[in-house]
This record gives sequence, structure tokens and C-alpha cells, in this order.
Amino acid sequence: MNIEPTELEKAVVLKVIGRMDAENADEFQQACERWIAQGSRHLIADLDGLQYVSSMGLRAFLGVAQKLQSLSGSLILCGLHGLPRQVFEMTRLLSLFPVYDDVAQAVAAL
Amino acid sequence: MDSPFARLTLPARIDSMQAFRDFVRVGAESAGLEAPEMDWLDLVLEEILVNIARYAYQPETGDTEVRYAVEQPGKLLVEISDGGRVFNPLVSDPPVLGGGLAERPIGGLGVFLVKNIVGSLSYRREQDRNTISFTFPGPNKGGA
Repeated sequence: MNIEPTELEKAVVLKVIGRMDAENADEFQQACERWIAQGSRHLIADLDGLQYVSSMGLRAFLGVAQKLQSLSGSLILCGLHGLPRQVFEMTRLLSLFPVYDDVAQAVAAL
Repeated sequence: MDSPFARLTLPARIDSMQAFRDFVRVGAESAGLEAPEMDWLDLVLEEILVNIARYAYQPETGDTEVRYAVEQPGKLLVEISDGGRVFNPLVSDPPVLGGGLAERPIGGLGVFLVKNIVGSLSYRREQDRNTISFTFPGPNKGGA
């Protein structure tokens, strides 16, 4: 899994590429927490390149989203498709996140 | 008669996961499963193996055995066993799937996913080992 951050005016985009599983889900959570510690309150996870996510990945998304909500911020999901999207739907997590087709739409909504 | 199962035994640790996945993929390919189904199979394996790595032997360590057999073309039978304490993850309470973001518990989704993806699924305790047995794919071909 690769995480490529891009800092925008109102949010930080974290482009996640590859597979998020038990071995690396912590890396995503820690990357988000570093941006939160630096004052970011809106994180946009660009998941167009995410091929796979397991329950350990879901824990990471949920943990970051709960933390941001408690700080009046948000974790926004973009580009979810394929297995990751179905896993979010199956666990009824999708409705708990702001979800957009792509980053441009997410940024426009902020 | 030879056992129909191909077997691999490795330490019950998260870092054994990739080797187990690669091993079962060989079986999945010989069963004729297609690429999108492989990722769903990986997911099932991961959820079960992570449970074993985290809970079966703590604080000691031990092994996990994964074995598979091609039941029929397009269908794989997989069994995963450990010699840890008696533990049937399939009887755990269903996860809370309602409520808002703040109320959603962070855990408990792994077994739920497994139940939604596989075909038949069972637990047995035999010869001091826990064994989870499942067929793949399930009726929804990956829960889709």
C-alpha cells in the first residue's frame, strides 16, 4: 500500500494505492493522525487505487473518522469501487462517511 | 488413499498471512476460480488468520495449519486449524451495524464478513485443535 498526501487549502488528500490489510492498516491510521496532530480537520481519502480492504482497514477508517468527528472535522471517502466498496456496504459503514465519486466533488462540497 | 488436502503449517502470526494466501491461491487457480474471486478468498483467509494470530495462543505462540481441497470445479474447501485454547469465533455476538458514527464499535466485523462471503462454514474441536472449515465461493460469489 502506498499513501500519497497532497495538502489543499481546506483539506488534505490522502491517495491510497494498493491493498490495506492487517499488516499495513496502521500505516494509514498513523498517516491520518499525523495530519490531525498538525491541525488538519478534513481528510479526503482518495480510494480510486484501493484494491482490497479487510476488517483491520475498516477499523482504521472508523477510528480516524470518529477522531475527526470529535474535533468537528470529517474523513471523506472518494473513488470507492470494487471489493472495498462492497465491504463498506456489507458492513453498513458507507452511510457513516461523506462519500463522493472523486476528489474534485469532495473539495467542492467543503 | 492419499488425503485430498494440500497442507501448509506456519507460525500463527500476521506475517505468515501472505504465504498462506499464496498457498491457497494455487488451489483456487486449480479449482478454476477467477481473479476477482481471489481477492474475496484473501479476505476470508485474512479475517480467520488474524483472529488466530491475535487470540488463539496469547501469550504463548503456536502454529496454524491451512489445508485445501478442490471439491469440484469452481469450488474450494478450505480448513484452518490451530492448537490454541478452545475458541469458536463463529458463535460471537453479531456486530452492531446501526447507529451513528460515534456509536459504531470499531471491532467485530471480521467474522461477520466471513459469514457473508463463504458458502458453508463450520467450527469443530478435534484432537485438541480448533478447526474452521468453509467452502468458497459462497452463493453470492463474494457477497456482491
